[in-house]
Amino acid sequence: MSSAAPLLPTPNGLARIGPEEVGILADFSHAFAASMDVGETLRRAVVQIAEHMNAEAAAVFLVDPVAGDIVCRACAGPVDVVGLRVQQGRGIVGRAIAENRVQMVRDTARDPDHLGDQRGFHTRSILCAPLDTAEGAIGALQVLNKRDGALFDSHDANVLRLLAVPTALALNNARLMRELVEQNRIKREFQLARQMQKTLLPARRRDFPITALNLPAREISGDFYDYFEIADGRIAFCLGDVAGKGMDAALLMVRASSCLRWVGKDATPPGEWLTKVNRELSETVTRGMFVCAVAGYYDPRTSMIEMANAGFPPLLLRRGDESMRELRADGPPLGILGDYSYSSERLALAGGCLYAFSDGVTDVRGPDRKPIGIEGVRALVERVSGLSPRARVRAIVGHLRKMSLADDTTLMLIADDGAPSRYLGGLAGSSDPENLRLVRRKVAELTHDLGFAEAQRQLIVLAVDEAVANVIRHAYAGCCDGRVELSIWLDADAVRFELRDYASPVDPERIRPRDLSECRPGGLGVNLIDTVMDRWLFRHPDDGAGNQLTMIKRLP
Amino acid sequence: MSDVNDCSTEDNQGVRLVRVRGEVDLSWSQRLRKSVLEALASNKPVAVDLSAVTYIDSSGIAALVEGFQNARGKSQRFSLVAVSKPVHAVLELARLDRVFPIFASLDDAVK
Repeated sequence: MSSAAPLLPTPNGLARIGPEEVGILADFSHAFAASMDVGETLRRAVVQIAEHMNAEAAAVFLVDPVAGDIVCRACAGPVDVVGLRVQQGRGIVGRAIAENRVQMVRDTARDPDHLGDQRGFHTRSILCAPLDTAEGAIGALQVLNKRDGALFDSHDANVLRLLAVPTALALNNARLMRELVEQNRIKREFQLARQMQKTLLPARRRDFPITALNLPAREISGDFYDYFEIADGRIAFCLGDVAGKGMDAALLMVRASSCLRWVGKDATPPGEWLTKVNRELSETVTRGMFVCAVAGYYDPRTSMIEMANAGFPPLLLRRGDESMRELRADGPPLGILGDYSYSSERLALAGGCLYAFSDGVTDVRGPDRKPIGIEGVRALVERVSGLSPRARVRAIVGHLRKMSLADDTTLMLIADDGAPSRYLGGLAGSSDPENLRLVRRKVAELTHDLGFAEAQRQLIVLAVDEAVANVIRHAYAGCCDGRVELSIWLDADAVRFELRDYASPVDPERIRPRDLSECRPGGLGVNLIDTVMDRWLFRHPDDGAGNQLTMIKRLP
Repeated sequence: MSDVNDCSTEDNQGVRLVRVRGEVDLSWSQRLRKSVLEALASNKPVAVDLSAVTYIDSSGIAALVEGFQNARGKSQRFSLVAVSKPVHAVLELARLDRVFPIFASLDDAVK
């Protein structure tokens, strides 16, 4: 042995290893580092080990964490034992792994742990080194029977220990890589689930009385909300919080939200709405899971809300100078008592704003690490109440983000106290087509300084012209002496056109955009309005006579 | 100028050419419709020159669609030429810009 040979630390002190060992160690490390296929490298490695150690056979055993035993992954020698399984702690291999120490058995006949010969191969002596990692032994390298009949010695033991190092490293790297790939896959699936959940939430609408937001505590959320217009002009809304926040809660959220949407579409009164969904969920939901929900309708024309509450945290109503009111749940959460009948309550928003918060908001922890509770939420609402509804949501979320969110957090505002509208102007006249030119001039003039591009402004003029032409043609059936009124309003972030006539009521069902893929002369007007405007609503005015069309175009 | 609505028909390069001028809305689209249908009755190829149209609404578009369908029914050529910007914007909005044969000029239409 060369005096310059490196020293290998052993339990008994330092051992010298020769240039030959350094060579094979380098080959080994290189083979593992260069290979993408650990299995193939292992198969070649055991052949080299058997060769170098002058052994009749060599094998790599690995702990199988799933089956809980030890399995042979690669071998070299006269008998193929790949796939051979040994219980943990049994045999010389089991002992090497359990004790995480090299085992040298010079005569197997004298070692009671030896499991006996395998498939006709007579094992006389065994040298077995554990594959040690930071998390303990993950397997073992084993050589059997020196070829010349000699016995394995401590030098052999040190060499095998040395070769076990890069082998363990390579196997460990491969395992970590597999785990990483698996983790990435799960992460991707969660991201997909989150995206899918997001698509279930309604798109944010800038010129809409309802604003809502969901901040999930993890990738996926157990909270949900929804709002949509129903045929009679009211807006249906619902907001829910599923118990728990894992994948099971997320799946129940999907189910609960689709049930709520389904029933709400039919304008079912809120009490009956929740009663139906509760019955359905109680029949199918796993015991112990439930959904807190509030559901109802808001009528922007009368500013009335009709709603029912199943175990959802108190809603806050802030109206003018009145002190803030808490509206408490009138029934248990959905999915617990299948035969419960929920009742509806009615309230007038009357220039106020209704705030609904999931318990993620009340459970937010303030600087003193205590949940802010309903009092904290009230203070928050008070603090932001001077802002526009959208700015209010942004400010609340800003405050919440500064504190620590423990749970999914959802809030919804139904606001009738947005920034006041400014009357830009308008005109009233008879339903004579000759007046259309005046209408166009007026709309062009009043929308001139609102920041629209010229082409956009021309389309707005077109849409209003189409609306007036429809009144002349359809509501008044071409009769020139009907009255038409147009008023133009500037809202917080939109320009609003109110068109009123005093003809016989027209069935709102008839006012629908047609399918543009069919080429025919008539019915294009509504389509143009629908394309140009961001929102329009046709209804019968509250004072009875005629028809009212509201068209809204967001400011650029 | 653009305040004056006008609709005239002439024979040009073997085509019945309907020239339209002004703002085509409900008060005037019947006039356009009549001119287009009369031009089609000649059984010659028909082209509608829209270069001087400063405004058109859906009733004007409807008159053009009716002409187009009428012509197609009897395999007569019907095209729009020199379509002004405001008209093109409305055709696009109604997704009719790919339905009508549209040419930059009458010369292009008769080629």
